[in-house]
Amino acid sequence: MRFRKSWIVTAKDLSVFRKNKYILYSLIAMPLLMGLLIPAMLVYTLQAQAALLTQAQLIESATFLVNLFSSFFVISGAALPTVMASYSFIGEKLEKSLEPLLATPTTDGELLLGKSLAAFVPCIGASYIGELIFAILIDGWSIINLGTLLVPTVYWAVVTGIVIPLACVLSVEANVIISSRVNDIRAAQQLGGLIILPIMLLMVLPLTIQILPLVTLALILSGGLAVADVGLFYLSKATFQREDILTKWK
Amino acid sequence: MEIETENLTRKFGERTAVDNVTLKVNEGEVFGFLGPNGAGKTTTVRMLCCLISKTSGKARIGDFEVDREEDRLKIRKVVGYLAGDVGLYENLSVYNNLDFYGKLYEVPSGKREENIKRLLELLGLWERKDDAVAGLSKGMKQKLAIARALIHEPQVLFLDEPTANLDPLAAKTVRDFILELKKEKRTIFLNTHNLDEAERICDRIGVLKTRLVAVGSPEDLERSISSRKTVVHLESIADPVLAAVKKLSTVKKVSTDENKLILDMDVPEKDNPQLVRAIVAAGGDIRYVTELTSTLEDVYLKLVRGA
Repeated sequence: MRFRKSWIVTAKDLSVFRKNKYILYSLIAMPLLMGLLIPAMLVYTLQAQAALLTQAQLIESATFLVNLFSSFFVISGAALPTVMASYSFIGEKLEKSLEPLLATPTTDGELLLGKSLAAFVPCIGASYIGELIFAILIDGWSIINLGTLLVPTVYWAVVTGIVIPLACVLSVEANVIISSRVNDIRAAQQLGGLIILPIMLLMVLPLTIQILPLVTLALILSGGLAVADVGLFYLSKATFQREDILTKWK
Repeated sequence: MEIETENLTRKFGERTAVDNVTLKVNEGEVFGFLGPNGAGKTTTVRMLCCLISKTSGKARIGDFEVDREEDRLKIRKVVGYLAGDVGLYENLSVYNNLDFYGKLYEVPSGKREENIKRLLELLGLWERKDDAVAGLSKGMKQKLAIARALIHEPQVLFLDEPTANLDPLAAKTVRDFILELKKEKRTIFLNTHNLDEAERICDRIGVLKTRLVAVGSPEDLERSISSRKTVVHLESIADPVLAAVKKLSTVKKVSTDENKLILDMDVPEKDNPQLVRAIVAAGGDIRYVTELTSTLEDVYLKLVRGA
């Protein structure tokens, strides 16, 4: 496996994405909306609670809400690859550019890695930008009103550093498999979007029920995602075979 | 670099797409692969380019075997492939399309720039190098796809219907370009439906209908399906001339058409001088003598219908 070869494919896909307004708007809009809306909702809730709670209770409540709301960033980590990966794979199918690409002296693994990175890199980058906006706004508010920083928390760090990248990888891999079966970008995005629901349920439900400490929950979820990532990696690798792409992919 | 196959076969489930194809394409030769839709031409090329595997038989490009794992990347490196669909990146510029493939084929930076410029100039696309591919005409896209197949200066070139859907002028440019490549001694394997094109630019032609039904130069193929005929154009056909010709043992059959004698001969090159002498001796005035052969289209239709 030559990473340099994969990166050539990634760089080409990123150039194609830069010229596609729909992709650019998706990449900018989702993290920006989440980075602005979530802090706004959080601040609104905390200000409503401020009159009813002591400073210590307010900080405790704020910390819980920061953890709860930071889980929502997993959505962008899992949702954005459905846009990027569908363009990366189905876009090639629609332009009928896969055959000349497959004729080049690259291995299936190098091509798959290159195209997967092209979907992963901008998505994780956009998700982190959203998280950064979130952290700056929340901390700006909390330092003024509570005299302390609310972000980072350990839970926030686990979600940002482990859960979001794993969810992003899962989504990319799922889209490789979906792309082999459908010929329509919208259909691929809708099918890929289904992967977000179970991830979000797994993230948010335990938070509200609070059966285990939050960090433990996030680590358990990360373990589950890692296992799913490995499983889907083998499936997507089996799907992305030169011969199958030319003779079996729809 | 030669291309050689021996009983090359590919099956898709129960269906045999390519059946025991044995052929050899010599270095520097332009080999035309003719056949109807579904005859197995693209499947054969895909096997030779290591895009799909074979079911049985052997195939090699130069010294590299297509089914040897360690040879596959080497084959893809020395081979240029123009697929049936141009498959260009419409949002990228003409230059960036070629640059991307140049990088994948590991052409060093300086050489890559030089090759891109040379190919785009040769194909009349240099002025459009910064334009998005989406804005090019069909003919320009086809030329760009050919440039892409040549970006790494391959020794063997597979062209799958390079002039399909092109207007006559664009098709001629592409054909002329293929002839230029022939001068550079590249081995060219040309899949085509265009019989006229095959006749004009191919050294040899193979007719495929799942099986390889004939191989030869266009001239050999044209002669292969019928006995060769000599046509003698006369001022007029008099009875003594007709009688003199019929007496010749080398003439198998004689027919007339206005002032022409049409004669079936076994070996015209050997027997024509005797024929001419006999006609002149009988008082016939000969305007000229020509050969009547089948066209490549006649050959192709007969082979494909009969296979």
